[in-house]
Amino acid sequence: MSAVLEVKDLKMYYSTKQGMVKAADGISFTVNQGESMGLVGESGCGKTSVSMSIMRLLAENAKIVGGQILFKGQDIVKLKEEEMNKIRWAGIAMIFQAAMNSLNPVYRVGDQIIEAILAHEPDVTFEEARERVAELYKLVGLDPKRMDNYPHEYSGGMKQRAVIAMSLACNPDLIIADEPTTALDVIVQDMILKELSKIQKKLNMSMIYISHDIAVIAEVAEKIAIMYSGKIVELSDAVTIFKKPAHPYTVGLMSSFPSIHGEKKKLVTIPGEPPNLLNAPDHCRFAPRCPFATKECWEKTPPYEEIEPNHYVACFHPQNLRKQVSING
Amino acid sequence: MATKEIEGALESPLTIKMKLAWRSFKENWKIFSESKIGVLGLWIVIIFAIAGFIVYPILAATVWKPTLSGMVSYDPVTGYDFTQMLNPAPPSLHHLLGTDPLGRDVLAQLLYSTPREFALGILAALITVFIGTIIGTVSAYYGGAVDTFFMRLADLVLLFPFIPFLIVLSGMIQIDLFRLALIIGLISGFGGITIVLRSQAMIVKVKPFIESAKVSGASNPYLIVNHIIPNVMPLSFLYMMFNVTGAIFSEAVLSFFGLLNIKMSWGLMIYTADTAGYIVGSNIGHYWWLWLPPGAAITLLCGAFYFIGRGLDEVVNPRLRRR
Amino acid sequence: MLKYVGKRLIQILILLVIYIAVIFFLLHAMPGGIKAMLTMNPNLTPQAREAILHAFGLDKSLWIQFLTYLKNVFTLNLGISFSFYPTPVWNIIAERLPRTILLFTTATLVSFFIGFSSGKSLAWKRGKASEYVATVIGVITYTVFTPLLIFVFIWFFGAYLGIMPINQFLNPDLWLKTNFTAQTIFLYLLLTISLVGAAMLAAFAVARKVSHKVKTRKIIFYTATAISSAFAVFWWAVSPYGIYGADILWHMVLPVLTVAVVSYAGTMLVMRDSMLETIKEDFITTARAKGLPDKVVRDKHAARTAMLPVITNFVLSMGFVVSGGVITESLFSWPGMGMTLLNATLGKDYPLASGALIFTGIFVLFAHLVVDIIYAFLDPRIRY
Ligand SMILES: Nc1ncnc2c1ncn2[C@@H]1O[C@H](COP(=O)(O)OP(=O)(O)OP(=O)(O)O)[C@@H](O)[C@H]1O
Ligand SMILES: [Mg+2]
Repeated sequence: MSAVLEVKDLKMYYSTKQGMVKAADGISFTVNQGESMGLVGESGCGKTSVSMSIMRLLAENAKIVGGQILFKGQDIVKLKEEEMNKIRWAGIAMIFQAAMNSLNPVYRVGDQIIEAILAHEPDVTFEEARERVAELYKLVGLDPKRMDNYPHEYSGGMKQRAVIAMSLACNPDLIIADEPTTALDVIVQDMILKELSKIQKKLNMSMIYISHDIAVIAEVAEKIAIMYSGKIVELSDAVTIFKKPAHPYTVGLMSSFPSIHGEKKKLVTIPGEPPNLLNAPDHCRFAPRCPFATKECWEKTPPYEEIEPNHYVACFHPQNLRKQVSING
Repeated sequence: MATKEIEGALESPLTIKMKLAWRSFKENWKIFSESKIGVLGLWIVIIFAIAGFIVYPILAATVWKPTLSGMVSYDPVTGYDFTQMLNPAPPSLHHLLGTDPLGRDVLAQLLYSTPREFALGILAALITVFIGTIIGTVSAYYGGAVDTFFMRLADLVLLFPFIPFLIVLSGMIQIDLFRLALIIGLISGFGGITIVLRSQAMIVKVKPFIESAKVSGASNPYLIVNHIIPNVMPLSFLYMMFNVTGAIFSEAVLSFFGLLNIKMSWGLMIYTADTAGYIVGSNIGHYWWLWLPPGAAITLLCGAFYFIGRGLDEVVNPRLRRR
Repeated sequence: MLKYVGKRLIQILILLVIYIAVIFFLLHAMPGGIKAMLTMNPNLTPQAREAILHAFGLDKSLWIQFLTYLKNVFTLNLGISFSFYPTPVWNIIAERLPRTILLFTTATLVSFFIGFSSGKSLAWKRGKASEYVATVIGVITYTVFTPLLIFVFIWFFGAYLGIMPINQFLNPDLWLKTNFTAQTIFLYLLLTISLVGAAMLAAFAVARKVSHKVKTRKIIFYTATAISSAFAVFWWAVSPYGIYGADILWHMVLPVLTVAVVSYAGTMLVMRDSMLETIKEDFITTARAKGLPDKVVRDKHAARTAMLPVITNFVLSMGFVVSGGVITESLFSWPGMGMTLLNATLGKDYPLASGALIFTGIFVLFAHLVVDIIYAFLDPRIRY
């Protein structure tokens, strides 16, 4: 399997009047061809910042201060804006967090998708592009006739589907779906997510799902990265994450959401304040909320290590693992 | 006895209110002072105020006092200078900004008019804001037909060709400064300001504290006066600045056309020079002191109030603020 | 769309009636209004007084008077001008209104174009020194006392450089020996401009139908515009009227410049604020993510959407622009509605003054309607 996207030690900071906001602080992960990864974390932990860094759509006060983002082996951090424009959408497409507002209100929805196609494939004629959009509409379950409607004539769910169709328009290698369904009701949310996953498998694309809801991610992602306060604290395949979560935060996350399989677990919220990314401390950032924190945790940042094959954790006191070891031993 | 002690130890409600007001004033002042344009406007207004309200009376009582010989008078309306051969005379040591075609000192006229411009602008703006605030809040509070009526009226006033109307009106009735302030204040009170204040009042109207006051039996007028109006006040104040600009501008235009029944104003200074033929054709560059100082004064003072308005806008509308 | 226009038209008509009512009650029915003016002469005998009041219908009830007045306005029966006796007021207005329309429309288009594009660039290049400079200049021209600006223009272009005509509608020497009036030439000019404008509109519509490529559309539009303007210029050049038309246009440059300079900043400042808001919208991030070039994101997505509040604001500032127009017309002796209104007032020609005022208002209301229709074309949320 070849890697489509390799993020290596990515550091992206916002400079504000109060100081540096280290929204992505040493992020590393790999997404392979045809693979789907989930990126999970509390609100404000920096998920959108990571995806915006990959698209190189940074806010005015944001800067990538270190690390590499290799897209098919090419470091896009250093690319010129025009070269980056070629990769956007044709290479990496995105479904935005606020899908409701992702469509320009003054243009027909179909035209907005055609615009993306024509921008990347100048040889395609308008009629061909229209045909392709019609197919995409069918693929995401929309009536192709609605192409000529304006966004305000769509319902929320339809807009969501249109945005998904738009992300598929240029056959990208990778799609980043940043909380693609948060604005919808649960049933529609589930349906759309499943369809998206089906399309992804069918077209053998790579995918990064972003959500604060690990239960949603578990349904569609093969691999899950847990993010906390600008850092990835645990990364492994979905089964491992669920069966033997190693980081105390992951354990906390699992218990804070009702299980997807309908078992009525008690909803436990992780105690303590969500972290402040502003002028982050140089000890373990989860220490203030961690029941297992020791002196060590308050002194230095735990390394991000592979504790077993394909299971990365940044913690001095990985959970479960020890239990398992003791059982085995 | 114990309660009395506690009450004594606590500050009276009035002092608390004062302290709160002072604190919010300080906070808002900080935001305002970050807006360069607003601070610039404030300085210009202060300088004009000092010139008109302090410098002019002092000058008039000292340097510009009529001499015994009666050769020179600095009176802005009836003044003259018999030592001067030709009028209008260019700026000199005796007349820092020269004299006008009738031999009157231009600087004296300029300073003399300043307090009048302030009075006119502020009076008109106060009337506008008074009417606008009441209509805006009442429309928002009661809604229905009252609301529709006043909003359509506001549409009309917004499109109303104001200056042309004042021109025609001035041909029919005698308009002095006070009447002008009344007319401007009244008409613009029904205009755009009601729309803006109404939408602000709509936001306030649905706030929980209004509901709780209603439950505790407050009457409608009491609610409007004590709860809604104080909350739209900052916006009213902001619009007051723009209205001062409008009023001073209108006065200047009308007196520039010689349509007002007044003795002296900046607009009238230009009118006098214009009708005497000093601003026509190639004269215009030679007699610059006749039109440039009053024209610049109008521009600066109008601009200054507008600047303050824009500065206040940043206080009132946080969305415009920079990070 | 038609339904929308119809609705707006009815609303405008209602506004028009209210406007006429306001003018009527403020000017005609007010104590010290026209009635007092007409009967001011203390030597009038009571009979003569009665006769005058009767002649003007002022002895009837206020309500009847208003209805008569309303009927007169709609039948263009506005009385006889005192100063151009015995020319009816309507004839004078019919002659002068087109001049104001031409001046106002040209100046508006120029100022909107300048304000729109500068506001757009200001927001896009936020935080640069140029933003600060342009904002300051904009605010200064926005608050400048219009006569002062005109004096500066007259001094600079007319007296100092000596390249521009001042204080005239035409060059009198040139027109001395002609056997046609300036009005004829003026109407021909207006006709030409409307035809070229119509050709441009048609080209625009055709281009949109024919092609979906921005480049092809642009080529069609610009060639059509160039051809029609070249044709118009050629016609004027070979016709004996050419020099006279040019003379009128030449005298229009400074007035247009003045009105444009006074009003462009309003558009610019609103466009800048609106653009800054729009840039924060998610669909702009989406457009960027689609890999569209910076210019396309700015013009096609951000500016196009940010334009809508600017147009709304433009409607609100129309009264302001018309006021600026009155001052400009009278200082440049451009004999349009504004100058007519002022001179009629100064000459105590009440029928003409109030007639001009009414039609200035009607003109503003119709300009409002036109802008409303344009707005509906630009915002699909309204159109359907
Ligand atoms: N333009 C900015 N300037 C300064 N700080 C910012 C900026 N944008 C985001 N941040 C901060 O960076 C941190 C990460 O934000 P980000 O949007 O990446 O979080 P997120 O994980 O996507 O959250 P959510 O789940 O709510 O979408 C937050 O603390 C946020 O306050
Ligand atoms: Mg996010």
